[in-house]
Parts: sequence; structure tokens; C-alpha cells
Amino acid sequence: MSDERETRLFMISPVSNVTPDQLVRAIHAMGKGVKVKETCYGCLAEGLVADVKEVTGEIRGRYPYDVFSKRRAYPAGDPRRCRAEHGTRPGYAQLEAEWESLPLIACGLESCDRGETHEIPPEPEKLSVEDFKKITEAAR
Amino acid sequence: MKVFIDPPNSLILYDLVERFGHEPLGAMASIQERIDNIELDLPPMNVTLDDVVKGLKYAGVEVPSGIRGRLALWGPLIDQADAALIMLDPPFNFGCVGCERSNEMVRYLIRRRGIPALSVAYPGNEAEAKVSVGRIKEFLEGLK
Amino acid sequence: MTIKIAQLSCGTEYSSVQYEIEKAARSVGAKVVYPDVSYADINDSLKRFGFNPRSPQLKLMIARAVSLADGKYDADAVFITTCFRCAEAALVRNELRRFIQDNTRLPVVTYSFTERLKAAQLLTRMEALVTIVTRKELLARERQTGITVGLDSGSSTTKAIVMENNKILGKDWTPSGDVVKSAQLVLESALKQAGMEMSQVEAIGTTGYGRFTLGKHYGAKLVQEELTVNSKGAVWLADRQRGEATILDIGGMDNKAITVRDGVPDNFTMGGICAGASGRFLEMTAKRLKIEITELGRLADSGDWRNAKMNSYCSVFGIQDLVTTLGEGKSFEDVAAAACHSVAEQVYEQQLQEIDVRHPIIEVGGTSLISGLVKAVGEVLGEKPIVPPDSQYIGAVGGALLSSGFL
Repeated sequence: MSDERETRLFMISPVSNVTPDQLVRAIHAMGKGVKVKETCYGCLAEGLVADVKEVTGEIRGRYPYDVFSKRRAYPAGDPRRCRAEHGTRPGYAQLEAEWESLPLIACGLESCDRGETHEIPPEPEKLSVEDFKKITEAAR
Repeated sequence: MKVFIDPPNSLILYDLVERFGHEPLGAMASIQERIDNIELDLPPMNVTLDDVVKGLKYAGVEVPSGIRGRLALWGPLIDQADAALIMLDPPFNFGCVGCERSNEMVRYLIRRRGIPALSVAYPGNEAEAKVSVGRIKEFLEGLK
Repeated sequence: MTIKIAQLSCGTEYSSVQYEIEKAARSVGAKVVYPDVSYADINDSLKRFGFNPRSPQLKLMIARAVSLADGKYDADAVFITTCFRCAEAALVRNELRRFIQDNTRLPVVTYSFTERLKAAQLLTRMEALVTIVTRKELLARERQTGITVGLDSGSSTTKAIVMENNKILGKDWTPSGDVVKSAQLVLESALKQAGMEMSQVEAIGTTGYGRFTLGKHYGAKLVQEELTVNSKGAVWLADRQRGEATILDIGGMDNKAITVRDGVPDNFTMGGICAGASGRFLEMTAKRLKIEITELGRLADSGDWRNAKMNSYCSVFGIQDLVTTLGEGKSFEDVAAAACHSVAEQVYEQQLQEIDVRHPIIEVGGTSLISGLVKAVGEVLGEKPIVPPDSQYIGAVGGALLSSGFL
């Protein structure tokens, strides 16, 4: 059941120097008995919920701006979600897009950790109809 | 606190909610609940006709089945959430969140429940990223 | 060889129907696949296609279609399916169907599903896709040879044809009852007409709902779904074996609209949600008018549908409209014409929107004998359809023609 198994998807930011292999070895070295599978974007770790949580915490502490993670519904290698079986599932494009976004998020986190504060920029407003009218009339 | 994330399958939001000390409520757990049910054999997701019918709680029968099926999955999570974190217009919205009508409804359901919710725009550059992540951190830390 | 059917879809997994789609494909020896696309492909494809839907899954569908069109992904057929009642998806579904047809030679079928979809409903469609891919040579057959029989076990009627050397020698039909008994009856009669014995028959081809039962009973050489078989029968009867055409078969229970290129279907729709758009509705009308169905067409010919409005989508409410109209003292002719017009209009609205009508339009099936309906179809489409001789025997003719390929 959900409480027993947790499959965790770890993803390395595209600008990071951490390699999937390093990540896998780091998790193995923790000795939590968590199964790890290397992937092109990082790794999948699978085990009891409590163990995977500990692993996640440690990885986050070690690589705060390099590695991001979420829980994954399907166990590692599940044929129902296997790319070799059917071709890519819709979620694959999502992962790719989020992967590309990780450097921005890391940048934000680093800024927070440095204690920086930022003003919320005002929402850009659209040109008023009046102003637009003036411009079009001037262009005549 | 339990924080519903939207998009519910987002890795970034899941990570941030957890990082700042809360329990993310997303798509993954509710899908896992279904796919781990060995008594069902409706791959890939074990979403059943019953699920789609349960979606009627959130949308009428004239609403396409895919929307009702999605709402049947996310609706109960919104019902039990203490807060919500929403990222607007992310470039990633595939997979579980492939239907924009469902996504609109999810955002509305959050609003209708009246729980604390933060909507941040997806950042387009580093300056915006600093603002967005800063706001998320402030919101999540404020929930304690 | 496993046939790869590329699925372009939205909503299937959340509607509890993905399993049914895959089950239907498996049962006909095919496999559902998703063309691989990357995130970058999606953005490029959207720019190229020029339609940018709000729903990301529809964007993904477009990227997958572009990948097929560019030959980057290898598939044998295409199945495009989205949620029933979703407007955005309906637009994308149809435009992608058109795009695939313009850019590939892959057979394609579209379908809008509800959560109640079961594999059996898709079986004929999936089977047709597989037939088109695996039986290319057989489907290219234009002449019947030897002595063969075609049996078409339809939902309303059962038909038999005996052919020898590309000529029809015997034929008969009867209302469908017990599948085997009905077939036996018409087969005996057709053989008698042809002056032949069963022992002379070299091959049998079966089609229609009862095809498997009849195929087993008679040891048929060809047991094939009605979409491909009817198409072959239609172009043979209409002598339009080469070039393009649209085949319209308004059946007793479901309607088929098939576009063909050289007699081989490349796109088809098959509707069967509502009896209001089928031959069954005309039967009900005839019964209410207390006339034979064979008289309905002639009656309709001399009526004007405009005098008796009947615009219901449901056969039950349609008949209610009819009762009201008769109560108002409208003529039987006008009512019959209105019933024919209503069916033609619904076929146009429900089926013909899912395909690109090609010319000529060949109208076939039992309902093509109802002249009032043919007239109504012509009015609605703005073009008079061709009704070939023996148009109700398309399935049986197709069966006899194709089964001779096994001799």
C-alpha cells in the first residue's frame, strides 16, 4: 500500500556537475536498504516510506541546489509506464520541461538562502485603448 | 500542514513544499493508491468507471469523462488540504494535467474551499525566479 | 507481425477507457503505441501546425501527429480519440485526422468516447485498421474468380450472393433471426437461383455482426469486418474501383461513412449511439404510418419535409414528433419525407463531419433502396449519390469477391 512503498524520483539540474552515478553511490552509501536505479536525469530510489524520506532529506542537505525530487506513483520499471513498451507517456514531456526549469528554481533558492528580499514587480498593464488610438492615428 | 500543489504532478512544487516543511498533496499518491490495488486490472492507471462516476460530485454529466475522472482524483485531495500552492502558466503541464479545463476547475475548487492559497507566476528569468521562490518560501513558512 | 496502431488521444486514462482500447487492439493482433516526442518537439510542432490549443495533452497529440507525418516514428495505422463533448478536442481531433491523411498513407480512424466505452465497440474499427494494413494485396483485388459465396449477417437483414467469374448468379436476403438459420435460408435460395449446388462453391466469405459464427459454421476462407468488405462490394457494384469515393452505408443499427482510395478505405467513421440516425428509425416510421418500409421511399418522394418538422435526435422523441405532426393533419407524404430528411441530416451532422467527403458519394445498404432517403441525402449534401444496382448486397458481394482471393 501507499504507506509502505515510496518510489522517489531524483532529478539533477542541467547546470549541475553532480552525475547520476555520484547520486546513486551517495544513496547506496547511506546504507538504508533503499533500491536505486540510475536514470538519464538522476535516479529512482525505492523502499519503505520512512527510509526514502531519510534518504531524501540527506540528499537535499548535500545537494540543495543541484538535486530536486518528487514521489512517483509507479514502482521503478513498472511495465504500465515503461517507455520501451509503448513509447513515451505524456508525463515525460513534463519531466523534461521541469528539468529545464530547475536552474531558475535553484537560483531563487540560493537567493533566499542569502537572505535577499525582492520587491514584487508590478503586473505589466496593457496599453489603454485611448493611447492605442492616438498611436494609430499618428501613424496614418 | 497538507499543501495541495497545482499542477498536482509538479516535481518543483512537490520539492519546495517538502523542503519548507510541509506535506505536499499531489497526483502521485492518489495514483499510487490506485495502481497498487492488485484487485484491479485496468492498466495503466486503474482509474475505474466508479471513479469517473464519483467525479459527478465536482462536475455534471455533460462534462467530458476525462474531466470528471481527473476531478475524482484531485477533488478529494483539495477537500483535505489545509493550504494550496499554485504555479500559473508553467511551461510544463503534461501527463496528469493535460486537460486545461480540468486545471481551471482545480484552481476554482481551491478558491471555493477558501483555504490559504498562493498563486505565483512561472518565472521567465532569474530576477523573477528570485521573487517567485521568495514568495513561496514566505508563504510556506508562514503556514506554520 | 504485430500491427502498431499509433494512439493520438486525450482523456483516455482518466475516463477508464485506455484499457479497453488496448484490449480491442490486442484482440485483433495489434498493439497501441505512442509516438515518441520530446518537449522541444512539442513547441516546434505547434508552431508548424498552427493550432495552439489550451490543453497540453492536445498539444502533445499534435506533436505526435507531426512525428508520424515526418516519418520519425514508425506506425501502421492511426487511432485518434478524445472525450465526447469536449469542443477543443473535437476541433483538434478532426484537424489532426485531416493532417495525417494529407501527410501520410496511414489508415486513420477517429472516435469520441464516453466512460462507458467497452472494447467490443471498438473491435470492428480496430479490425478494419489491421485488415487494411495486413491484407493490402487481397484488398487490391478487383475481379471475382471461380465460384464463391458471400454471406453478410447484418443487424437487420442477412444477405447471400453467389458469384462466378465476376458475375452475380444468385442472391437473396431475409430479415435477420437466428444467425445460422437465416444464412442457410438465403444461401439455399441464392444457390437455387444460380442453379448450383453447395458442393460447387469453392470459397465463402462472411461479414457483418454474425461473421464469426457463420465463418465457423461454413468453414469460410474469409471472415472479415464489414468496413473493408462493404467498401470493396460498393466500388465493385458501382464500377468505381479506381480513384476516390465516399461510401455511405446507413445501416439498421449503425452507420458507416468510409472514404476510399482505389477501393481501399483510408478513413472511416462508424456511429451507433443513436437509433434516430439509422434505418431503424425509418422502420419505426413506416410502422407508425402502417405501411411497408418498401413503400416509405416512394411516399417520401412526393412529400415535402419542410411541411412536417421533425428535428429530434432521438428515435423515441422523433416518433413523438411524428405523432404530433400526424395529429396536426399533415400528409403521410410530408411526414415520410420529414423522417427521411431527419435521418439524412443526422448522418451529415454526426458522421460526415468526421471525414472529408470525396466524390462520388456511393450510397449503399438496405436503406439505399428507400428512394426518399437517397433524395434527402442528396439534398443535404448538395450532390446526388450514386446508388449501384444490388446496393443492399455490398457486404455479400465484397465477401464473394475477396474470398475468391484465397482460391
